[in-house]
Amino acid sequence: MLYNVHFGIYVDVAMPVEDKSKSLLPFLSSPKLLPDESEAEFQSGLQSLLSELDNPSPLAVALVSQLNECLWWIKRHTVDKELLLHEAMARLLSKAGSYSETYDNRKVSEALERYLDGSADQDEAVWIEDILAKSKLTLSDLRVRAFKDAAKYIKMVDDLIHRQHQTMRHLQRSIDSIDYKSRLIKRMDLELEALESRQPVKGVLSLDDESS
Amino acid sequence: MTMNHRRSLANRCNALKSTGPRSAAGKRASSQNSRKHGLNSVPDFESSLEYQTLIDLIAGEGFSAFSCADIAAGLLNYRRVMDAYYDTYTSPEPVDEFLRDMNVKASNPIFSELLSPSGSEPQDVREMAAFFASIQRQERRKGGPVSRRSADTHKLIRYQRNGIARLSRAVRQA
Repeated sequence: MLYNVHFGIYVDVAMPVEDKSKSLLPFLSSPKLLPDESEAEFQSGLQSLLSELDNPSPLAVALVSQLNECLWWIKRHTVDKELLLHEAMARLLSKAGSYSETYDNRKVSEALERYLDGSADQDEAVWIEDILAKSKLTLSDLRVRAFKDAAKYIKMVDDLIHRQHQTMRHLQRSIDSIDYKSRLIKRMDLELEALESRQPVKGVLSLDDESS
Repeated sequence: MTMNHRRSLANRCNALKSTGPRSAAGKRASSQNSRKHGLNSVPDFESSLEYQTLIDLIAGEGFSAFSCADIAAGLLNYRRVMDAYYDTYTSPEPVDEFLRDMNVKASNPIFSELLSPSGSEPQDVREMAAFFASIQRQERRKGGPVSRRSADTHKLIRYQRNGIARLSRAVRQA
């Protein structure tokens, strides 16, 4: 019987647990990615995390995929910190020098982005350098000022990254707990098996029974 | 001053005269305006198919029925928070570029022209300019798209914290 668990992925609930772990893999691991992100990269991260577990249960797979998503969010937020700086730099440049209505913030922002990437054409580069000269700033001065301006938002992004780290810690503890439990059950099964193999034939009294 | 600029300003001035929705349907629709992520509502996981499927899967690992229910609810709740987190991150409040970049001082002649049918006085024009300047300040304070999405996502931190704590507790107490 097939069930749509999440993200439109189907899991056969009648299959054995070992197979379910594989079926569940896409269940919580099918990511919601941004247009410029690679799903292959996401999946390879997940596979490498899963490879560290010995025969993971469906629940462990579900938790590991959440952990992988946390790592992905940390990556996104780290990029955001740089973007926040660029945004603040563009805002400062727009205000600089002879800022007028026609001095479009978006235009400055796009040109600056290309300038910082090194992909700006000569006209754009000259234009940005001209604005920098008019505002009597070097690129590093501008970056310092932008950092000051964007500090509030950079702190927010730092909080978001910190939250993801805390979440990962919770998930790690949960995975450890499942792993410990499964190992404990396995050990108890083995001990029981050993006891059963040592148990004498039914009806024959042992020395312990006689003494009692 | 371009025609678009004049038209936008005229629209905004007219919007200031609005006193909100009048019909019952309009009021009902606008009452949902402040609802953004829906994480404050009580979820009903138990009637969902996902919940039952998860319980069946987790039960196969030797957890008790009570623990299975707890873990499944915790996992679905955490997913709900993270889906809202993604939605908030990918659709921040849009930047009103017109308002952010407009030159309020240069728009004074338009304000007086727009107000003239009602016999505008310099005081009226000044008040309108001050009003636009104040909403422009608010718009600029919110920053660009990255600042906005960071601020919006930041508001969901407590939901994420509670969601993961619930899930982790359910798994470790099982």
